[in-house]
Amino acid sequence: MLLSQLIFLPLIFALVVALLPRENWIRPVSLVLSSLHFLLSCVLFYRFDPSKATVQLSEVVPWVPTFGINYFVGIDGISFWLVLLSTFLMPLVILGSWRSIETRVRGFHVCLFLLTCTMVGTFVALDAILFYTFFEASLIPMYFLIGVWGGARRLYATMKFFIYTMAGSLFMLVAIITLIFMTQSQLGTMSASILDFYKLDIPFVANEFINTQTLLFFAFCLAFAIKVPMFPVHTWLPDAHVEAPTSGSVILAAVMLKMGTYGFLRFVLPIFPDATQYWAWLFMLLGLIGIIYGALVAMVQPDLKKLVAYSSVSHMGYVVLGLFALNIYGSTGGMYQMLNHGISTGALFFLVGMIYDRTHTRQIADYGGLAKAAPVFTIAFLIVTFSSIAVPLTNGFIGEFLILYGTFKTSWLFGGLAVLGVILGAVYMLWAVKRVFFGPEGQVVHHHPEGLDIRPRELAILAPLVILIFWMGLFPGDFLNWSKASLEHLSDTGSKYELTIEK
Amino acid sequence: MQTEFGLIDLTLVAPAVALFLTSCVPLLIKVLRGNREQNTFATLVYAYMGLVIAAGFAIFTMGTEKAAFDGALVFDGISSFSTLLVLGIAAVGLTFARDSYSTNDRQFSEIMFLTLNCAVGMLTVAWSNDLIITFIGIELFSLCLYVLIALSLEEKLSKEAAFKYFILGSFASAIMLYGISFIYGTVGSTSLPDLLSAASSLVSTNRMFLLGFVLLIIGVCFKLAVFPFHAWAPDVYQGSSTPLTAFMATGVKAVSFAFFLRLVASQAFTVERFWPFVDVLQWLAVLTIVIGNVGAFRQTSLKRMLAYSSIAHSGYVMIGIIAAGIGGASMLGASGVIFYIFAYTLMTLGAFGVLHLLEGRADSDLTVEDLKGIAKDRPWVALSMTVLLLSLTGIPPTVGFFGKLFIFSAAIKQGLVWLALWGVVGSIISVYYYLRPVVAMYMETPTLDREDAGMRPLSYFAVALLAFFVLAFGLASEPVYQVVLASVGKVF
Repeated sequence: MLLSQLIFLPLIFALVVALLPRENWIRPVSLVLSSLHFLLSCVLFYRFDPSKATVQLSEVVPWVPTFGINYFVGIDGISFWLVLLSTFLMPLVILGSWRSIETRVRGFHVCLFLLTCTMVGTFVALDAILFYTFFEASLIPMYFLIGVWGGARRLYATMKFFIYTMAGSLFMLVAIITLIFMTQSQLGTMSASILDFYKLDIPFVANEFINTQTLLFFAFCLAFAIKVPMFPVHTWLPDAHVEAPTSGSVILAAVMLKMGTYGFLRFVLPIFPDATQYWAWLFMLLGLIGIIYGALVAMVQPDLKKLVAYSSVSHMGYVVLGLFALNIYGSTGGMYQMLNHGISTGALFFLVGMIYDRTHTRQIADYGGLAKAAPVFTIAFLIVTFSSIAVPLTNGFIGEFLILYGTFKTSWLFGGLAVLGVILGAVYMLWAVKRVFFGPEGQVVHHHPEGLDIRPRELAILAPLVILIFWMGLFPGDFLNWSKASLEHLSDTGSKYELTIEK
Repeated sequence: MQTEFGLIDLTLVAPAVALFLTSCVPLLIKVLRGNREQNTFATLVYAYMGLVIAAGFAIFTMGTEKAAFDGALVFDGISSFSTLLVLGIAAVGLTFARDSYSTNDRQFSEIMFLTLNCAVGMLTVAWSNDLIITFIGIELFSLCLYVLIALSLEEKLSKEAAFKYFILGSFASAIMLYGISFIYGTVGSTSLPDLLSAASSLVSTNRMFLLGFVLLIIGVCFKLAVFPFHAWAPDVYQGSSTPLTAFMATGVKAVSFAFFLRLVASQAFTVERFWPFVDVLQWLAVLTIVIGNVGAFRQTSLKRMLAYSSIAHSGYVMIGIIAAGIGGASMLGASGVIFYIFAYTLMTLGAFGVLHLLEGRADSDLTVEDLKGIAKDRPWVALSMTVLLLSLTGIPPTVGFFGKLFIFSAAIKQGLVWLALWGVVGSIISVYYYLRPVVAMYMETPTLDREDAGMRPLSYFAVALLAFFVLAFGLASEPVYQVVLASVGKVF
């Protein structure tokens, strides 16, 4: 029941918030409810057994039995941290929007809770149609978050975001239906369970594009590549991020992009092992292009938020590179980098949002010399930057190191080029830091001689993130051990991958 | 041939009789009162009574699998499902009609009379087991619709729409009748079972029969607004008063598709000689989807947008029809079609209902601009509209998603993956125009003063109920699907 509670409690919370009699109760009540939700998700630490690479805490309820569709949820090492990441960020997001969301507060918090429900659902769903349902449904609250509380060009951005993601996932739907019929012919009964998909033997022909496995593979990849987003289908991301309110950007970057990489890990690699093996080079190449392209474009951005958005493209490129290196180091690094990106990019968006709330400008040119006016803020920003550019002792280092190690094992060329990306990453982030925090004082500092520094509420948001950055950097084992068994199982079994349900 | 009518025949057709009798009551009262209209609410209550009695009879005879009047009418699963659907549509349509500003209060008895008899025509088509009876049913509901369209208080567009529909509808009827005459000439009977048993052999040997069959299908395609016979739909839907548009966009399509399914059950599609025509039908389905979606993309008038979208939905259902046909009457295709009709009925009735709720006295043709800021003034209407539009887009877990899932499944099962892919392309295009109103309702501020459209509690309740059903039957699609499966089970 635990997983169902984690999925559906937010729906009840949304109802509670919607019915609260007084407007000024909404924020505190939401904060308390989302914190309770996070605490409930921490029960997973006790109930989940990391030594087994099985599906645990599973629940199966028939939904549309005629098509073998079930409400089937369960958790394993791959989804474990992503669920916790989603629940962990929610209280922070509510705290972060405390002052910056002034209009339609009620609707905003309802959207946040609906989003929590769909995000947790996406990560624990083990039925393809159920997964699709949550995957698609998560678009709706995000669509409203960007469209109602976003910036000037929000309507364009939110429409683009929705159409892009929907376009990818509809092709995935066709592929899912095809797989369901395959289970009927190969296993005897119709089933939309992902575990049954793993058992399928899908015909594959190398050197040819038009064959069943390759086409299905690309249908899934398109959906996830758009979500990640990978070059060249990343163009919705900068628009969505820049126009979204801070909280929207944080959730989008920290959790929703992970749905794409999680999809690769959950669906693409194990269901289509031959096609994955054959086309891995393409995805490593696209990941690499994403790393370098994202970094180069980020370098020339005049807008701080857009810079962070493009850095996302670059960082998610590492994740894809790691996953498609197809060895244990790469997938572990990819998994770890998903969390790192969630923490550090989430923190970066928070920081950009905090400074924007005070100054109402995101143009790097307007800043300069902020270090003197906002010393604590500067320190926090520097720590997060270090995490983002993978300085040792921070979490980013562990993730990128593992990914690069895994990539080198697969291909020297890709590994070498990816290292180049690390340097570029340091260049654009540190250059931005230099222009914003150091050097001559910009107009912003002139206009706000004091009161730019961080407030206790904001410190409360950043403190857990900064602690996590160091914790994950110094003691990666505390985190990796929870996923180790599942990831090893994935990379060891290869095309024979199967998951069993823990009773 | 000896003809015998028994009590059982009358029980079976009792829904139609009940509808006809109740439809006369307000008219008689009006005559007795010296041509003064009684309270419209009382008229509406009579209509509800008639519909409830009809539904009662329909439920009473459900599952009997009987033929009435010497096999001219058949009462199987598809009949009873369509019967209940049509009765529901008529109830909602009349509810909207009473509340609408474009309805003349002094003529509401006439409107009620025509609407219920229109429903009788639809029921006749749904039950018909004989081409001539089908033709009579189609003519009955079409004639009622022509008059209903013209009855609108709106002066110009509605008259134009009525005339346009009349001309093109008569044209379609003529084509259909021509086709029926060929079929009669070759088969020697207009009875559907005779036609069906003869079809598979005659299609490959007799050109006259083939011609007749194709003409018949063209006639049906006209009623369904399938490309290239779709051009009337946007004008007629826009010109009619919104409650009537809701009624006709759903009712006509529901029974026409039911009839189409009966034709397809003939397995004519599996005959090799007919394959080129199946290919043509597939392309027509694709073009219907594309034209419908691209057309809707360009509209500012919401009614026209929904009209084009209903063309697109016809295209999706055509995929199911083809899948049902070429699979040698595949259950999956047929049940997909019926389920989609059900889903389509809920969402389209609801969407037109929302437009009707927002229409002021002066404006019966809302544009996207008119929706701006609705979320603030009328939050529940905006929420209902959002749910309905998301369902039309096919976002899970609404009923529209499962409709598409079942249709696409049927297509993929029959190896028609390319049709499913076109359906996907259409759905992607549709995201833009379905979400455009949502953007306007929630994310934009009103630019012009909106006339207060008033509360209209009955219509309001109906719309909220439809939106709720769209969600509820999406989450609980299995029970509905089981009913659908059971209803097509005997025919396919």
